Amino acid sequence: MKLSLLFFIVGLLLVLLQTTFLHLLPLGPIVPDLILVLCVYWGLYYPNVAAVLGSFALGYSVDVLSSPILGLNAFAMSLVFLAVYLSSRSIWLHNPLISAIVVFLASLVKGAALVLVWAVFLSMEGLWTGAARYIIMEALVAAFLAPFVFALLRRGQSYLEQIRVTAE
Amino acid sequence: MLAFLRKNQVLVSSGFCVLLSLYILTAAARGQLKQDPVGPILLWLMRPLQIGAQAATGWIKEIDQRYATVAGFRAENERLRKRIQELEVERSKLLEAGATNRRLQQLLEFRSHLPSGSITASIIANSASSWFKTCLLDKGSADGVRKGMAVVTPLGVVGQVVSATSHSAKVLLVTDSNSGVDVLVQRTRARGIISGSLDNVTIMKYVKRSEDIQEGDRLVTSGLDGVFPKGLMVGTAVKVRKQNLGLFQYVEVMPAVVSSQTEEVLVVNGEPNQAKN
Repeated sequence: MKLSLLFFIVGLLLVLLQTTFLHLLPLGPIVPDLILVLCVYWGLYYPNVAAVLGSFALGYSVDVLSSPILGLNAFAMSLVFLAVYLSSRSIWLHNPLISAIVVFLASLVKGAALVLVWAVFLSMEGLWTGAARYIIMEALVAAFLAPFVFALLRRGQSYLEQIRVTAE
Repeated sequence: MLAFLRKNQVLVSSGFCVLLSLYILTAAARGQLKQDPVGPILLWLMRPLQIGAQAATGWIKEIDQRYATVAGFRAENERLRKRIQELEVERSKLLEAGATNRRLQQLLEFRSHLPSGSITASIIANSASSWFKTCLLDKGSADGVRKGMAVVTPLGVVGQVVSATSHSAKVLLVTDSNSGVDVLVQRTRARGIISGSLDNVTIMKYVKRSEDIQEGDRLVTSGLDGVFPKGLMVGTAVKVRKQNLGLFQYVEVMPAVVSSQTEEVLVVNGEPNQAKN
């Protein structure tokens, strides 16, 4: 329960960060997608129904705050969670580089899902050329940040688990 | 059946969420999603946090600027440095007050040229995604902001309100790839549509090859789309190219308003042929 609450607060904080402070970073039009990193973390280390709903809710929050059409990011984040969850049994995360690679690939899945849905619902000229650059840049930034975010989340998770064990 | 569901609950719930989001997406794209029950609550929850965070962001920017200013005076003695710091703080406050005063005066003056009932609002948050160019305003339907209203500044067009809750509104910026503003070349009255693109370049579409358009031409709203009042500045043509094939010219546009540097805006009801400028 405490862990779910922690993740809820972290999710809310990340949404807030993405709409405000992260725009201060000198990355041009790219906003670091920490929400994606959190969804990947859930898919790998915390795969339960609460995490599934959390991924959906975070994507939906991004839709409410930023997207011109509801459901776009909710779909992408749910798909990312599902993809990470399905492949988590064959991934052994033993160093930060692997976590960066997993987040990079997850970001590519998210980008591909967005482009696919975009092409179907919001058909637009020149989508593919622009999208390819966005997907790669966003994936690189997310992959760079992933080891730090993972380390912070693991620390928070193990701290709360320690408290629970002590209480029991 | 129950045992299967229990065993694969993560997989089943994930699949359900994917399908649910696709359903929402389809309904939203077809315009069947009239009421979003969660969105207004989330926006209501986030609004005070975002206002606070935006204030903190401004504070960080100010600290950053102040540090850069003060760093140049390190070699000077303690008394002078203290005095300079005091003056710097005072100056910064006065400059900020002066700049705010000037902006609001301009906004007030500009407001008199617009259709009646325009609403002054502040930008409280930017887009959470690299894919969309949107921002959030601190005014919503309770203040008279409605979906479809135009968002402008004295410098030109910012965008269009795409959704509004009671105390906030989401604006799709002119630079977003999904936006479209009907414009005229001020010099020749050639028409086109200004839209953003994922290349982070704003372009003017559908300008016929035969039309006269040159780099540096000012592009203003035509007023024909029923959203933006006629004659508002949208941008300047910075690159004009006639490709070997095709009916239209390629025109790159520098938007008149940089949303990241904008703090206050006016939300107006852009009925055609009402603007005076």
